[in-house]
Amino acid sequence: MVQFLVKRFIGLLFVVVGVTFITFIMGYFAPGDPVLLMLGQHYNQAAYVALKHVYGLDLPWYQQYWNYLKNLFTFNFGLSYEYKDRAVSAILASGVPISLELGSWALLLTLIVGLPLGILSALKANTWVDTTNMTVMLILFAVPTFVLAVFVQVFIVWIDQSTGASWPVSNWGTPWHYSWSDIQYKLAPIIVLAAGAVAFYARLMRTQMLEVLRQDYVRTARAKGLRERIVIYRHALRNALIPIITTLGVALGSLVGGAFFIEDLFNIPGIAGIALNSIGTRDYPVIQATTVILAVAVVLGNLLSDILYTVVDPRIKVE
Amino acid sequence: MAENLLEVNNLKTYFYTRGGTVKAVDDVSFGIRAGETLGIVGESGCGKSVTALSIMRLIARPGKIVAGEINFNGEDIMEKNQNELTDLRGSKISMIFQDPMTSLNPVYTVGFQIAETVKRHRKDVTHEQAWRRAVEMLDLVRIPDAKRRAKNYPHEFSGGMRQRVMIAISLACNPQLLIADEPTTALDVTIQAQILELMKGLSKEFGTAVMLITHDLGVVAGSCQDVIVMYAGHVVESAPVKQLYETPAHPYTIGLLQSIPRLDDQRGVKLNPIAGQPPDLLNPPPGCPYAPRCPRVQTRCWQERPELVQVGRGTQAAACFYPS
Amino acid sequence: MDTRKEQGQDLAQGAMLGRVPDPAMISMDEVSGMAEPELERSKRPATPLQDSLRRLRRDKRAMVSLGILVFMVLIALIGPPIYQHIGGPYVNQITGQTVGPQSYHNYYYENLADQDQGPSAQYWLGTDQLGRDILARLMQGILVSIFVALFVEVFDVVLGISIGVLAGYYGGLIDQFLARFTDIMLAFPGLLFIIMVAGIFGSSADSFFSHVPVIGPNGNARLLLVGIVLGIVIWPFTARLVRGQTLQLKEQQFVEAARTSGTTNTRIILRHIVPNLLSIVVVTATLNLSNTIVGEAGISLLGLGVQPPGSSLGKMIADGAQNITSYPREVIIPCIVLTLIVLCFCFLGDGMRDAFDPRSKD
Repeated sequence: MVQFLVKRFIGLLFVVVGVTFITFIMGYFAPGDPVLLMLGQHYNQAAYVALKHVYGLDLPWYQQYWNYLKNLFTFNFGLSYEYKDRAVSAILASGVPISLELGSWALLLTLIVGLPLGILSALKANTWVDTTNMTVMLILFAVPTFVLAVFVQVFIVWIDQSTGASWPVSNWGTPWHYSWSDIQYKLAPIIVLAAGAVAFYARLMRTQMLEVLRQDYVRTARAKGLRERIVIYRHALRNALIPIITTLGVALGSLVGGAFFIEDLFNIPGIAGIALNSIGTRDYPVIQATTVILAVAVVLGNLLSDILYTVVDPRIKVE
Repeated sequence: MAENLLEVNNLKTYFYTRGGTVKAVDDVSFGIRAGETLGIVGESGCGKSVTALSIMRLIARPGKIVAGEINFNGEDIMEKNQNELTDLRGSKISMIFQDPMTSLNPVYTVGFQIAETVKRHRKDVTHEQAWRRAVEMLDLVRIPDAKRRAKNYPHEFSGGMRQRVMIAISLACNPQLLIADEPTTALDVTIQAQILELMKGLSKEFGTAVMLITHDLGVVAGSCQDVIVMYAGHVVESAPVKQLYETPAHPYTIGLLQSIPRLDDQRGVKLNPIAGQPPDLLNPPPGCPYAPRCPRVQTRCWQERPELVQVGRGTQAAACFYPS
Repeated sequence: MDTRKEQGQDLAQGAMLGRVPDPAMISMDEVSGMAEPELERSKRPATPLQDSLRRLRRDKRAMVSLGILVFMVLIALIGPPIYQHIGGPYVNQITGQTVGPQSYHNYYYENLADQDQGPSAQYWLGTDQLGRDILARLMQGILVSIFVALFVEVFDVVLGISIGVLAGYYGGLIDQFLARFTDIMLAFPGLLFIIMVAGIFGSSADSFFSHVPVIGPNGNARLLLVGIVLGIVIWPFTARLVRGQTLQLKEQQFVEAARTSGTTNTRIILRHIVPNLLSIVVVTATLNLSNTIVGEAGISLLGLGVQPPGSSLGKMIADGAQNITSYPREVIIPCIVLTLIVLCFCFLGDGMRDAFDPRSKD
């Protein structure tokens, strides 16, 4: 088991290097000259050369990359192009708790709603419960997140207009607070972000449960006289959950991607929203930083799901 | 004749599939006495497994037990509710299956899977006691270093050893009847012999009756006192083992015995397969199910279905109008 | 012998994540330990391809979906020319000019006097915020989606098959490279990568590519970049699939036979392996088409794809979203069209997977 984890860890390290390298290269080749931008009106050759040296921008690319990596470890993402005296980390700092809140709730919802729905569908396979459930899930899975977001917003607007309520369709309340007003802001975006993943897991869970319930060891469990509930939840479920756990990384990746649309359409000032705004103002360091942060988060998520996998499945010893 | 521990009367189990109704078990009757080993022999698809599962009432959609009585210890299993059935399974009647590689849950230790049965059926037993019993059982089925190996997972055992674990699970609560559905078919021949010998020894030691299902006539010869032969969902012959081999009555049994190659056959002797095709369970012919392949078939065989009638002396019976 | 009823394709709802055979049918198999009495079906002398196509034809949902998609393609291709000939002259309130349908039924023609109008005889689906004809923009948007999707798919299939086959057949460095590349692409959420690239290099791509003849300076230049990036993100998955299949095929006896009879590796690959890959590639490509269309729409929605005056389904949704409280119609129309496209591909892809590989239980 340790061997497996070590191998995976090394692989992921490689991936992190790859990811950081790619983001670095993007920044390296980005159009525009940051030093020029900084000097602006006060351009003169000497100042240009001096400033370039100060920021290490006259070094060969591999040294720049090394500096970049070192900085990353201290969460130093450089200075913003737009706000020339503000650190990128400061700019993003306000967005982190918001995106974290959005993402955590979405993930939680995915697991608490998606998995039980899948199990229910499997236990009542081919009844009307199963059929309607899976049809709904199919639609939620197929429809793109941003389309769903729009439909939900239209719905809310319609409700507001018909009943005179004032449920908001944009902005976020206070991070990690849950007054009624906060909930009103947060409910829709979280549900929409989670929808795709809920559908994915519901369908996956159903498939896996049905597959597992056919297995010989489930028959053995019944033949031992175990009660049906135990057979389902102790014997079947435990096995069906294994592929769920291995796909947690993928689910995380899709949540990260979806967050961009949600934060854009619902006007939420999380890091994805901030990054999107900075695209318009050509503030590349911010884009770079957001990409690195999110990519590394997904990589860590993959590592976590690998670790959980070894815990849950005793057959994993050597890769 | 001692009263039967298990008595199956006119069991019928059908499967209602999209292609039609499959009569997997069509009017089967037999009995097992306490402590004895009954062999059920037949080719694939003859209904032996379905019979076993019917006794355990583990038949799921689209299958259904449509008729018959299954008397165990004088009580009809068909009358019992779900709770009573789960109480029965694993503690009074146990079953082991054909493929040991997939019959054990891969995510729990073998010790756990044995102890689980014990705790289920003996409410007053503590966790430690159940675990000790599990180790005891592993010892009994001759798994070396049982104490340590109880903490291993199924994938750490070979096929033969997994089947021993299955036997351990099934005997943990000292059942009166053990149903073994082709327990050695998936194993090497040498392991086969070991497992059969183990089962025989345990059955003797604990007085457990065994219903041994197999398609292998050789297996039956060494382990059983009585045998029934099944074909196309019917019992076609039933006899004590010696009589079956020495004086087979039903043409099918005769055909089976003749088709086995013998060690003392001459070189160049041809094998004698049974002519014809396997039976069609969707549309069985109205008369004797073996009629299409029987070398002694007469007109009557096509029209009427023969019942089991006594043949010769003793308890041998065959479902044939023209037995040997 | 009776002929059994044809085993119809059972479209269980577990479609996209792999089909689970109807549990009702299974328990009999497992329980009775006997194979279902499979009765012989008369063998039809057809190629596997014809067999697959026949199976596909029988799948009603897939066929209807295919029909809808073909219809959309046709509309996108021949709709605009036709639409631009329908309608009489019209006086533009703002410029005072008289224009014909070639103008006001064009997707980039803005008429600020006719903003946010509902469907009418003149504007069949109404107008948007800038007075542009929604139907025209819709057709253009679908056209853009088609082009991007095709471009990406060609990229994906060509690269995917070539690298995948080489990796599977020869192993070694190519295989290692593919594995590492795929790892990175898996870890780096595709959308993130595209946003980053399109965000940083978008405007340069605009100016760079608008010099390319066909594309021109009409807001579509950036799509070439988006297309390339989408292709880069997707091909590793196709390649992995192809590699897996190649590994399997490589071990099969007909390949061994070819090799022992002295066929060169190139020939083996081209004659024996690639043709057997096609079915799996076709199914994957179909599903990827759907993902690409959604991807492009998403990118355009974020403002990183098509630029004004160009149109894309995603751009229309973004534009319409600004008016969501006053004129929800403007955002709903492109949403419905996009959803319809996706659902059709969903059912079609399902049907194709069943038709080309009915054994796949995944």
